Amino acid sequence: MASSGAAEADPPGEREREQEQERRRLAASLTARYSDWVLEALDELPGSFLLTDPALAGHPIVYASRGLTALTGYARRDVLGRNARLFQGAATARAAVAGVREAVRAHRTHQVPILNYRRDGSPHWVLLHLAPVFHARDGSVLHFLAVQVPIADAKRRGGAAAAGAVLLAACREEARVEEDFPCAAHAGKAFVDMDKRGLEAEEPRVPSDSEKEMAINTADSIVSALNRYSKLTGLVVSRKRCDSVGIPALSSSLNLSLGRIKQSFVLTYSCLPDMPIIYASEAFISLTGYSREDILGRNCRVLNGPDTSLEVLEEINQHICSEQACTVDLQSYRKDGSSFHDLLHVSPIRDASGKVRLHLSQVAFHIWVHLDMGAKHDFNGLTPEVWQLGAVAAVRVAVRGLSASGSLLRPSQ
Amino acid sequence: MVSASATKVEGVKTHLYYFGAEHGNDNLKNFAYSEQGDPNLLDTILLSQWDNFAWKGHLDYDVTACQLKVIEGGKKFVCQLNNKWNSFFLKEYDKFFESFGCLKPNSMKCYEGLLLCIAQGEKDRPEVAPSSPPPKDGLLVIANAHPVEYGHIFLVPSAMINQVSCYRDKRMFQLATKIAFEVNNAAFRVFFDSGTSVVSDHMPFQACYFANPLPVESTSTFMVYDGKGRSDIIVSETVDYPLKALVFTSNNLQALVTVVSEISSLHDNTTAYSLLITNNGTKIFLFPQVKNLATGCSLSAWECGGYFVYHTKFDFDSASETAISSRMSSISLHDSAFEDLKHLCCTIADDLVIHCLNHSRIFFDDNFFLSTMKQKDRAMRKPHSPLMNLLGAKRSAMSSRNNSA
Repeated sequence: MASSGAAEADPPGEREREQEQERRRLAASLTARYSDWVLEALDELPGSFLLTDPALAGHPIVYASRGLTALTGYARRDVLGRNARLFQGAATARAAVAGVREAVRAHRTHQVPILNYRRDGSPHWVLLHLAPVFHARDGSVLHFLAVQVPIADAKRRGGAAAAGAVLLAACREEARVEEDFPCAAHAGKAFVDMDKRGLEAEEPRVPSDSEKEMAINTADSIVSALNRYSKLTGLVVSRKRCDSVGIPALSSSLNLSLGRIKQSFVLTYSCLPDMPIIYASEAFISLTGYSREDILGRNCRVLNGPDTSLEVLEEINQHICSEQACTVDLQSYRKDGSSFHDLLHVSPIRDASGKVRLHLSQVAFHIWVHLDMGAKHDFNGLTPEVWQLGAVAAVRVAVRGLSASGSLLRPSQ
Repeated sequence: MVSASATKVEGVKTHLYYFGAEHGNDNLKNFAYSEQGDPNLLDTILLSQWDNFAWKGHLDYDVTACQLKVIEGGKKFVCQLNNKWNSFFLKEYDKFFESFGCLKPNSMKCYEGLLLCIAQGEKDRPEVAPSSPPPKDGLLVIANAHPVEYGHIFLVPSAMINQVSCYRDKRMFQLATKIAFEVNNAAFRVFFDSGTSVVSDHMPFQACYFANPLPVESTSTFMVYDGKGRSDIIVSETVDYPLKALVFTSNNLQALVTVVSEISSLHDNTTAYSLLITNNGTKIFLFPQVKNLATGCSLSAWECGGYFVYHTKFDFDSASETAISSRMSSISLHDSAFEDLKHLCCTIADDLVIHCLNHSRIFFDDNFFLSTMKQKDRAMRKPHSPLMNLLGAKRSAMSSRNNSA
């Protein structure tokens, strides 16, 4: 990478050629895998996003969208070849950065609000959506895509200002040491500003549902574009590893509606023979310890263990076959092997969108609502049954929603 | 829930949801969420009771199996294929009232359609009493066995069971809007149709869950009155929507209810109104319609919102945006009548001056939830304020203008 200080040593022509070669090398990272038209296709997409290549030294940015300049002040050529941490700065939360690093290492999709810095040193909040792009056949990671959606200042959460200030101090110390931060040049100014703000240090902004949806939609468009142009050179690109190809993804609007339901539940897709799990709520993840990557695509039997009653499982099976709902008591097991007394309600959910080819009864999904009977719950006068049924009904309402395409499910790649 | 054995001796028993006690300023406070992570209390019990009712087979058909589609075109009208729903069901109001007979005090009969009751409570936070008799001064939530969408319910004031009187009073408006606020679910909409059918005076408020925004909610609007800082209400009109409509937006539930109930009480024989309460009770659409004196039929509130039910596959498949738009335009008010209405709405909104949001409120009905009011609140009520007289004068001016037209 050309460093800013050494310009005088080389004649200008030489430097131009080096930079041109560098640009071509980075562009080749894309065009080797996709047809030459992919750059034009990506140029047409709105929003601010990057593509990075983990196979090249330094994990550099190989593509930056047109929208990047408007959002960050960096010209596209400024960022090509550099590592994406150039957007971070003094007040960027260490935890957020660590989360991103971990997701990259584990080849996982990750979404986090993060404080980024523009070229002029001014900080701004963005929702960063990071996703790996896999080669669908051998499962290797081809690129990472990183979408930046600005988060509007809707509400500021008060409290914990002191904790924020401590975090800020830690960042400041880190920043003094790190040379990569571009705002090192503005370091003095930035630190002075921080000092003035002091205890009013910001808590992470909460992204709105529409901002989250925009991030997901942009990521989807990028992958679609990559797919469209990879077919020409024979590659097929997918956002998931190849062992989960074939599991339908939920439309983003359905995902958002389901995300508002607070109870602990999963949705299984009843059209596929082994009824794989296609959605798990946050509460379910907290209850069982499984992450989304662990559980999506698996069958619900993953929660069974040595003490799970076979008669009860048989009862559930019978109800599923006769399209009845049932509520049962059984022992379920968390990821760490510990068991809990589970009040489980299973119910069929119909899909009337008409797009999914179902048999006559139109049962598309089953909902499995869990409740840990061993834990303390306060339902404000509601019985556990009413509380669980509320989740079932909320899913029925959500499933009545139509996405723009009219389908609840996105086609699997 | 209603249990068969209990009714023999003690009468009908059901879940009873208590609103939290009202304080001076109930702007934006919603205690129905007990904690960040818990589901909303009223929303959960409503949905759960409805699902239970559906599961027991009391509905005429499974509305979740009725096909939906978005009609091609910019307005994104939604249509449903349902050969069992019939708008004339609601016209059988005699039977409708008969079925409520069992809800009279000391009745021995049981009524499965009664999902729960709602009443004003005295504690700060809302709560649910699992098995209580219907309150004397509260609301009955009754499932509609011929639902238009999931969760379709009637909101019937318990006082109305014994006498057939107008559902359109301000107290009922307040309750209906407050329920929308407490449920706090964007999918939950409350409706009211006035003058849209021969038996309109007997039709209660209704509500149901629509997962997507109704087409009218996505349409752009143009602000015609900005009451920020004065009356707290914004009045807008729809732009480019086939049925001319007005939108009232406010975070102050009292202000909103006061203005909208006042406006919809100014009815005459040639205009029908439908109301759509959305956005958790902070936005109300008013759909004025020219009454079809021949058939007496007008569009219901959800149809005004852009959601239509078709009985046959042929009608469903051939539904088009142009056909629906022209149907809406044909009952839309003429420009001059709409301008008059708009002007009147702005005037009414403007006359409503909120005296110090924290301490006093504007009351219209003496009997409204008396049991919950503290002594000092009672002292501050001014039931015959100059404001009331002014509105009364406007009302008579308006009707005399209509009569002479």
